[in-house]
Amino acid sequence: MILKFDLIAFVENKETLIVIGLIFGILVFATLLFWIMGLVKPNANIAELKMRTKSWWMMATIFVVATVLDPAISFVAIGALSFMALREIASISKNVREEDRKILIWCYLAIPVQYLFAYYKQYGLFLTFIPIFMHLWIPFMLVLRGVTENIGRSMSVLPMQLMLTVFGVSHLAFLLSLPELQGFKAGGRGLLLFVVFITEMNDVFQFTWGKMFGRYKIIPKISPNKTWEGFIGGIITTTVVGYFLRFLTPFSGMEAILICLSVAVTGFIGDVVVSAVKRDIGMKDTGNTIPGHGGILDRIDSLALTAPVFFHIVYNLYYLK
Amino acid sequence: MKKVTLFIVYSVIMRTVLRLFSGTKLIHKENLVYTGPCIIVGNHNSHLDTISIMSHLPLRQLTKTHPIAAGDYFGKSPFKAALTRFFVNAILIPRSRPKEGETGPDPIQMMIEVLQKGESLLLFPEGSRGEPEKFQKFKRGVGLVMEQCPDIPFIPIYMKGLGKILPKGDPVPVPFDSYMYIGSPVFPKGTTAEEIVSEVELQIHKLKAEFE
Repeated sequence: MILKFDLIAFVENKETLIVIGLIFGILVFATLLFWIMGLVKPNANIAELKMRTKSWWMMATIFVVATVLDPAISFVAIGALSFMALREIASISKNVREEDRKILIWCYLAIPVQYLFAYYKQYGLFLTFIPIFMHLWIPFMLVLRGVTENIGRSMSVLPMQLMLTVFGVSHLAFLLSLPELQGFKAGGRGLLLFVVFITEMNDVFQFTWGKMFGRYKIIPKISPNKTWEGFIGGIITTTVVGYFLRFLTPFSGMEAILICLSVAVTGFIGDVVVSAVKRDIGMKDTGNTIPGHGGILDRIDSLALTAPVFFHIVYNLYYLK
Repeated sequence: MKKVTLFIVYSVIMRTVLRLFSGTKLIHKENLVYTGPCIIVGNHNSHLDTISIMSHLPLRQLTKTHPIAAGDYFGKSPFKAALTRFFVNAILIPRSRPKEGETGPDPIQMMIEVLQKGESLLLFPEGSRGEPEKFQKFKRGVGLVMEQCPDIPFIPIYMKGLGKILPKGDPVPVPFDSYMYIGSPVFPKGTTAEEIVSEVELQIHKLKAEFE
């Protein structure tokens, strides 16, 4: 396979360039803001915000570089993301029996298969491989081990982990395999950039609105930081941003609003679902004590759900003809 | 020749493989940089323990650090012994000291000689590998050595997750997240072997508690 360097074609594509400029613009703004805040109020507790901004710089750079280069590299990069997320969730999960470690190998092997289906545009296989084939294969492998105690838990937890970290995330990669539409220049890359940007901004907006105005908690037992003010402020801001970024997509104004609303709500759902899972295994309180400890799941929990929802809305609206 | 091999095997190949496979995260990596002779001690759950520590040592220390290995296991055949010495830079010792009247090499003396040459040791006071994420009782050997080398520090390391990747009795590695939490060099305050061993044990337990 020859990897061609696609940078020039990419730079000519004005839409994506604007958004990349916007991403780094926001990061520069946030970095400066926290730097000045640190100078003005040296006692302010912004160490966590600074650290978050720093990791955003890293993630944004990796993401942009991976999308700018040849699609093959993007597939590998997104696949690697799935691998790291699956490894992370498998490492913290206490719901799977110790002896099932070998069954995990099958889960890991599913990653390259799923991404090859995406790369070779095998839509049907891509869609059915994990929900049907792996949901059959993993329980069967567990049965072959011959130990029935707690087998039900392993049978449900392992495929669930695959759905979240591999099936969900791989929809990002399939966006790159979508055929070209007439009169829509940004293409799959534009859509990929759009859904990742919208989802991550939604996380940030919900967090920020909640920090500033949050009073009424939605589900205090699971996510004490999630408030109605943060949720509503977040989805409105996300929708406004999405409305103005719709040049990355083939959407009309009304479509953009409805799609962004569903992405924002889905992002919230993904966030609290993973929070609940983490709380179940006692992770929540240790998550941030050490920089770099945990981490990937925190960033892709919402993405793992928004990517397939976004993908299938777009697919059914525009590509099913 | 051996230096180059060790560099390629650990600092290049194993470090990359571990990165990709287990994403081993080092916490307080700077504590590994200690130029003088020292004893690196850690909890022991997997063959990967030795490999991970060796892979993250700075080059200057890599060639001067000798993992301590049990002669009866790693030296079963002369071939295996030569491989262990060459690729792991290990020193093979008998598991117990010669009893009175017996002749034979004294493992404690062998370890002291290495330190006196200005080189370092890497050893696991738990002896053999235990079950993943569980501690076994620490053995006295490390205390007996340090008792006679009072000016040499030990560097405690707590490792988590490696025992899940490659546990004892299972040759198939499976990717899991893993962590190495490295403490700063400690000069033991105790004077008897027992005191020093419990100090080492305490330090590693402290790292575990801090980590979690």
